[in-house]
Amino acid sequence: MYEQMATSGAPLSIDSAMPLLSLYSFFLMGLLIGAVCLVGIATLPLFFAIIYAISLILKALSNGGSLFFKIALLMFRGLLRSPLRTSLSYLALFVLTAVLACIYTVINFIGIVTTEKDSNFKVIVTEKYTIPSQMPPAYEQRVIDLLGELPKDLQPVNGADDVIAWSFVGGTTDPTNPRPENAIFMFCVDPLKITTMMDGLEKKDLTDSEYAEMQRLTALMKEDYKRIIVSKARLDKMNLKVGQKIKITSLFYKDIVFDFEIIGELPDAKYEGVGFCSREYLDRMLSSFSKSHNNEQHPLADKCVNLIWVRVPKKESYERLAAVVNDPKYFSGPAAKMETASAGIGSFLDAYKDIFFGMKFILCPAMVGIMSLVIANAISISVRERRGEMAVLKVLGFRPVHVMSLILSEAILIGFFAGFMSTFLCWWLLGNVKIQIAFLGAFFVPSIVMLYGTILGMAVAFVGSIGPALSARKIKVSDVFAKVA
Amino acid sequence: MAEAIVRVRDLYKSFTRGTESIDVLQNLSLDVAEAEFLSLMGPSGSGKTTLLNLIAGLDQPTAGTITVGDQEISSMSESELARWRTRNVGFVFQFYYLLPVMTAYENVELPLLLLQLTAAQRKRQVETALDLVGLSDRMSHRPGQLSGGQQQRVGIARAMVTDPTLIVADEPTGDLDSKSADEILNLMEILRAQLGKTIIMVTHDPKAAARAQRTLHLEKGKLVDDVMNAPQPMRV
Repeated sequence: MYEQMATSGAPLSIDSAMPLLSLYSFFLMGLLIGAVCLVGIATLPLFFAIIYAISLILKALSNGGSLFFKIALLMFRGLLRSPLRTSLSYLALFVLTAVLACIYTVINFIGIVTTEKDSNFKVIVTEKYTIPSQMPPAYEQRVIDLLGELPKDLQPVNGADDVIAWSFVGGTTDPTNPRPENAIFMFCVDPLKITTMMDGLEKKDLTDSEYAEMQRLTALMKEDYKRIIVSKARLDKMNLKVGQKIKITSLFYKDIVFDFEIIGELPDAKYEGVGFCSREYLDRMLSSFSKSHNNEQHPLADKCVNLIWVRVPKKESYERLAAVVNDPKYFSGPAAKMETASAGIGSFLDAYKDIFFGMKFILCPAMVGIMSLVIANAISISVRERRGEMAVLKVLGFRPVHVMSLILSEAILIGFFAGFMSTFLCWWLLGNVKIQIAFLGAFFVPSIVMLYGTILGMAVAFVGSIGPALSARKIKVSDVFAKVA
Repeated sequence: MAEAIVRVRDLYKSFTRGTESIDVLQNLSLDVAEAEFLSLMGPSGSGKTTLLNLIAGLDQPTAGTITVGDQEISSMSESELARWRTRNVGFVFQFYYLLPVMTAYENVELPLLLLQLTAAQRKRQVETALDLVGLSDRMSHRPGQLSGGQQQRVGIARAMVTDPTLIVADEPTGDLDSKSADEILNLMEILRAQLGKTIIMVTHDPKAAARAQRTLHLEKGKLVDDVMNAPQPMRV
């Protein structure tokens, strides 16, 4: 189909969904900024409480006569003198660092999942021209056979155990009224491969107790193909409990009804909202379908494998395997392709590359610029209002560099607190909410973001305040007093 | 007359506004003796505040020299002037200019932070200064918690805490009622008589000017009159 399009010479029209998607992205961004603003406002009392507490501590320490503590006290008190302006600067920096932390996290996350590995990595077999793929079950065995034909050193370490086929099963407990509350999506796989081939559920990804529990549950699933394990979030949503038996009418596989027994929950924050069932059950149901339907095969019987994952030891293994899989001589009905997992995810994300580009190279710099201007404006007002005070400091012998440092340090202090608090909250809140993106595992904010956010907050505050600080430095004492007089 | 501590010679100061040059002080020379209380009077725009700023090292002359003690301040850079002011000049302003976020004690201590003093020395000097202006019991009050007269007394304590040779005051009683103004002028008289400070005060008020030993009248940037005032008893 794509080849036909490419050779037909027909002009490609703009996808009508793009404006809608762009609007949706803007709406989401607006929503994010609005939410961050609200969180920022909610943290203002804490921010001022911290500043006040530090002022008290500095006051106590400066009673000992230390010059350092006295100057630091002057800075902290400077922040408390105009709460409105300090709040504005704080909020601007809070929103900036929080939004940029989120953007950084998304880009970092994409970077991790799309980074190519050189050894012991996973590759995916999918249909070449159709999404989602619907491949015959025989493809899994064909891939296993191909692996066996590779030279010994290029074969997967665990042989056939390093191959897993996924079938997607979606269904509902109430076929008359399917709703999100009674629907479930499941990965239909070989149970014994869940803890060896599913990202996020391998031994390295789990605690010892979680891994032991998963081993126990998958062994039970293998014993009885009707057993399933489901995430706690989905069970709660469907108002179900471990131990219950349920009937799931498939939404994907017409006229197929599964009798499942829920035997356990998935580990916390792993595959939130979904479940795992046994491939054997789906195979049996598809086989028995013909018996009850005048020997007529189920329409999806030969299309029930959606993805095949293979763990290969070397890049060369992948290259040799891919050459065969991509050859229509071997995989022609339908044509298949093999690519690395990172490339596969990369192709999936390719549709959003303009959005990511915009986030990285337009939104981020624009936000830094705008927030710097906001800070510059707030600090400028502060400097203008405090010209008399600055002049007095100069009269008393404070040198221009002292006055400039005072202004800069006040702004940098706000940047420090805003940057740290916003990124800490991002890290903590998103770490606890555990947002799941497709099957890529829980979305998390790396802890390094707290360091980057704090540095960014301080840097933007510095950039924003350098202009006003320089103007404070140049304040001419005689001019200030002449104007007052 | 005692030896002159402030010597002003052939002083010119002009400002440029757009393309126009305005001469604020023209060919002005004067001497101020050590421990003298001098008042500067004149109509608005006569250059008295400009002259005060120049003597205090807050501005630099267009031409001429200013020598305070044995240092010619008219040729100093801005940083050198800042250092010099810390040690040698105390300032008293019409609107006090105390930092509102700091207590009376902290405001008075501010100039001392720039000097190489131990904490104990700083404490002793601040307490002495506040004691002298009669505000020992208001040390921990912030400016907003003090009356105008009390704030000005804190201002005076701040001006004298570094033990400067020269104290300059720009309309120190301009924002005060007559009772508070009297208290401030008494204090200045005490600083002069008992501590030997040289005081130069700009004022519009003839009564305040009369409390000084000598009054200089300026008009259009020129010295037009130099009057020795009759000694007046301190009013309590």
